[in-house]
Amino acid sequence: MFLVFALITIIGALAMFRQKNVIVAGLCMVLTFFGVAGLFLMLSNPVAAALQIIVYSGAIMVLVLFTIMLLNSHEEEPAIQARPIQRWVGASLIAVFGAFAFYIVMGSKALADIDKASRPIAGMNLVRVGEEIFRHYLLGFEIIGLLLLSAMVGAVALTKKEL
Amino acid sequence: MGAWMNGSLQGYILVALLLFIIGLATVMLRRTLLMQFMGVELMLNAANVALLAFARFRGGDVTGTVFYLFILGVAACEAAIGLALVIALFRHRKTTDADRADSLRQ
Repeated sequence: MFLVFALITIIGALAMFRQKNVIVAGLCMVLTFFGVAGLFLMLSNPVAAALQIIVYSGAIMVLVLFTIMLLNSHEEEPAIQARPIQRWVGASLIAVFGAFAFYIVMGSKALADIDKASRPIAGMNLVRVGEEIFRHYLLGFEIIGLLLLSAMVGAVALTKKEL
Repeated sequence: MGAWMNGSLQGYILVALLLFIIGLATVMLRRTLLMQFMGVELMLNAANVALLAFARFRGGDVTGTVFYLFILGVAACEAAIGLALVIALFRHRKTTDADRADSLRQ
């Protein structure tokens, strides 16, 4: 099951990267988010999986698709000038970074130790999450509320023509 | 077949790494601002996968899910502000191409 969800995630992300049409890329992104939600289920964390589907595939991607359709920019505009050197340098830097990180992850002793020490756990539930938030992270919760409010006001102020 | 194929911690970290690399490639190699924005979302998701994987393998830590909630709130704010900026740019320059919006003056 892990492999299935991991493949859904990676294939969705790769399809998004390769896709020319921005709307289809957004739909590939939704597929990726569903794959990630499946991974969260495999981590016995249904709370995070539900939040992932509601907030990411529901709210954020609807916002992105709405903006794409509003701006009517479905296709990538042709490049003003080809920048082959920058593109190749960027691609090779990403490849070097990826290979190095892959080497570290596969060779890490600490990761394997954590893996061996882990045992089956009970699934996450909302009661535990709520208790933890309101006992220990109340300040963070309030700050997130304020941040969401200010982001809402900021988005309106940025897009409105005349305030 | 390695242990990472059926859901060990290394498998989850590898998926997160691949997601991050693809997101980084999208930000660096694509020119459309909306695509770059989706790449940023992808990188944020990779961080979430790694965070929750570590929380699970450290004995089902609740703190991981709490911080996932906070990251979710920040991601929603980032989406709203980022898309508002793209719309404001489109209104001024009639483009969503990052290369066509590289000067500060009109």
